[in-house]
Amino acid sequence: MSYDVAIIGAGPAGMSAAVRLRALGAAVIVIDEQPAPGGQIFRGIERNAASPVFPALGEDYAKGCALVAAFRASGAEYLPSTQVWQIEDGWNLFLTTERKARHITARAVLLANGAQERPVPFPGWTLPNVMTVGAAQILLKSGGMLPEGRIWIAGAGPLPLLYATQLLNLGGRIAGYLDTATTPKLSALARLPGAWREFGNLAKGLRWLRDVRRSGMMIKGFSDLRAEGEERLEHLTWEAAGKRHRVEADVLLVHEGVVPRIHETLALRCEHIWNEEQGYLAPKLDRWGQTSRKDLFVAGDAGGIGGWMAATVSGEIAALGIAGQLGIAANPDDLRQAAHLDQRRARALALRPFLDALYPPPRTRLADDVIACRCEEVTAGAIRSAARNSPADPSAVKAATRCGMGPCQGRQCGYTVQALLAEVHGLPIGDVSFFHIRPPLKPITLGEIASLEHAEGAA
Amino acid sequence: MNADIIVVGGGVVGTALAYGFARQGLSVLVLDGEDGDMRAARANFGLVWVQGKGAKAPAYHDLTRQSANLWPTFLQELEGCVETRIDYARPGGLFYCLSDHEYEARDALNKRMHNQAEYADTRMVDRRELERMMPAVTFGSEVVGASYCLADGHANPLQLLAALQQAITALGSKLLFRSTVGSIRPEKTGFTVHATSGSFRAPKVVVAAGLATPLLTEPLGFTIPLRSERGQLLVTERLAPILPYPASGLRQTADGTVMIGATKEEATDRGVTVASATKLALRATRIIPALSAARLVRQWSGFRVMPPDGSPIYAQSERYPGLFAAACHSGVTLAAAHAAIVAPAMIAGRLSRDLAAFSNGRFDVQKCA
Repeated sequence: MSYDVAIIGAGPAGMSAAVRLRALGAAVIVIDEQPAPGGQIFRGIERNAASPVFPALGEDYAKGCALVAAFRASGAEYLPSTQVWQIEDGWNLFLTTERKARHITARAVLLANGAQERPVPFPGWTLPNVMTVGAAQILLKSGGMLPEGRIWIAGAGPLPLLYATQLLNLGGRIAGYLDTATTPKLSALARLPGAWREFGNLAKGLRWLRDVRRSGMMIKGFSDLRAEGEERLEHLTWEAAGKRHRVEADVLLVHEGVVPRIHETLALRCEHIWNEEQGYLAPKLDRWGQTSRKDLFVAGDAGGIGGWMAATVSGEIAALGIAGQLGIAANPDDLRQAAHLDQRRARALALRPFLDALYPPPRTRLADDVIACRCEEVTAGAIRSAARNSPADPSAVKAATRCGMGPCQGRQCGYTVQALLAEVHGLPIGDVSFFHIRPPLKPITLGEIASLEHAEGAA
Repeated sequence: MNADIIVVGGGVVGTALAYGFARQGLSVLVLDGEDGDMRAARANFGLVWVQGKGAKAPAYHDLTRQSANLWPTFLQELEGCVETRIDYARPGGLFYCLSDHEYEARDALNKRMHNQAEYADTRMVDRRELERMMPAVTFGSEVVGASYCLADGHANPLQLLAALQQAITALGSKLLFRSTVGSIRPEKTGFTVHATSGSFRAPKVVVAAGLATPLLTEPLGFTIPLRSERGQLLVTERLAPILPYPASGLRQTADGTVMIGATKEEATDRGVTVASATKLALRATRIIPALSAARLVRQWSGFRVMPPDGSPIYAQSERYPGLFAAACHSGVTLAAAHAAIVAPAMIAGRLSRDLAAFSNGRFDVQKCA
């Protein structure tokens, strides 16, 4: 099948782009890993609308209803539960739905595949019952599931606070909150004036914080957090005020912010830019969201973390850029102005410089015995030792240790390897490259690939 | 002088030679290229392979066999020198035949090779015998049999490369990364090698820079003809051990992953294609249908370093004695020979006597004929 535009991801960016492009008359297909539209932020929104969980998820969540409804009505072809495992020039997209592989073509591709939680290794992070806040929130949105027992949260940023609030709204309890955020520096506060324009958002954050404080222990200014246990998490220990503290815990939820999903743009050899403050790579984009490769666009958090409101706007902007380039719209600039997209984006991003300064990624030194690569169980020490015997090249470390060779393709360990190489070679992190990303973008079975031969032979 | 000998190229060929030189007591300087260079040493399949090699080149077949036989000792010495362990096994290797036609063609090849070399360790096994050899596997209906060679084995090529690189340092020699060589200048005595990391002098220089070798030797009138051939490979997630024998194009590593390869393509870019993945997956699942359920984790491409006739080139410049080149396919299989036979021959000036069949001069003869 052939389309004008293939959009990957049906979160705020992908949906708003699809709605715009359809309104301009483009033939659009939206390919989504999730079973229903909404992305991470509005996951399960159609099903949850009628459930008791809905009010507990908060006002922002409810705001997704209109967008999802508009998307459903847009006439874009929607492929849920589908993974894109390879994109070839032209553009040829190879997909799998329910174990069946297929191939489609499109004149332009929009990657709106969002963010992933920043993997932050620490002693014990691979123990069962230590999971990310994002994963816990998926369980909450997918089936109203809450963790049981003594629940601890360790992390920083808006998401853990939001999740904690959602949990409390549903009658859950939090035993303690280990706040890893450093005290706001002057540099963060200096960016506040711009943020005041979005007073609503800031007040929301403060309200979340107050709710959490009321529920359980709030611990700040600690170091060396460790999750310990035999078969599974049993207790947490940390250092504070020169003393080792220890508590029993059944579940630990961790979160240190989100980073763009860049495997697709890396595999397609787009140029990327290192964001030093937030410690992530993002594809270099022009003012329409086009990457360094023609007809390949990125919108939403995949192009740099901005949150769902900014994602919605960037989806519309990319839609206009694509429509202009493909000759579907003659006047994309006029449409951009008419919809006040730049003003709306500036407003959506107003709080971002403050948040970015407030929540820098943790940069504590990893102990040698901490596992950095979960798939291949490679420790930080093994990576350091390989790094000493190689240039500051992640491919060399990967070859020597198998770090990054597992099913996650370096999604979990990429930035850790980069940081360790920088440490060993005395370089700024941004000077060290990321892994070479090889296809497939998602694990696919040999049988699924082999079946393409029959499919194409029969056609 | 910066070293007794400079080796240009820190891949599996250059480091095996350098390791051989260092073991003879020479001080060696290995200059490796940029991170993004084409690196056959990191892309290859990892067979230590004898059957079918040098079907029309007896000297190449003999060297291959010698190297495969030297491998266990080579490995033991190498592992004694560094901390790195190298997965290696030599249970014999298979070449699967998926039709009577393939089976007969393979049988004919083996018989032809019996005539020119010691080849009694290779025989055809039919489907029944294959099933006895590999009880954990249900073969696809098209599998007729295989040829089986006792001399074949496989190794982890990445561990091999890491070990060789470390061994060079452990033996007191030096390896410089990110030191792309731009030119080699003959001096009154010895050579100056100009690299991005500086200029270095030595009485002898060996160019083992893979496909980049001719770029450095040609300006000195030292012709090393090579062509590149792209190969694409697949590797699956880790599986329980099912394949006790490595096979041409299908082997299970000690880690449990299954490697499938490799295509032969004219392309010069280092991309990969779904079309090739489909072809490779199809053949592997025709041999062992249960592999259909295995998840592909990675697909990549590499470039074979191919002399025109397929045999290695080990040569010394006639105009500038002391300047050598080594270029070949199958650098993993030949690693033991490179360390124990080729390197000593280069130092002792015996290259043209002991390894005459591998000189670059052989191509001139062909041109004249």
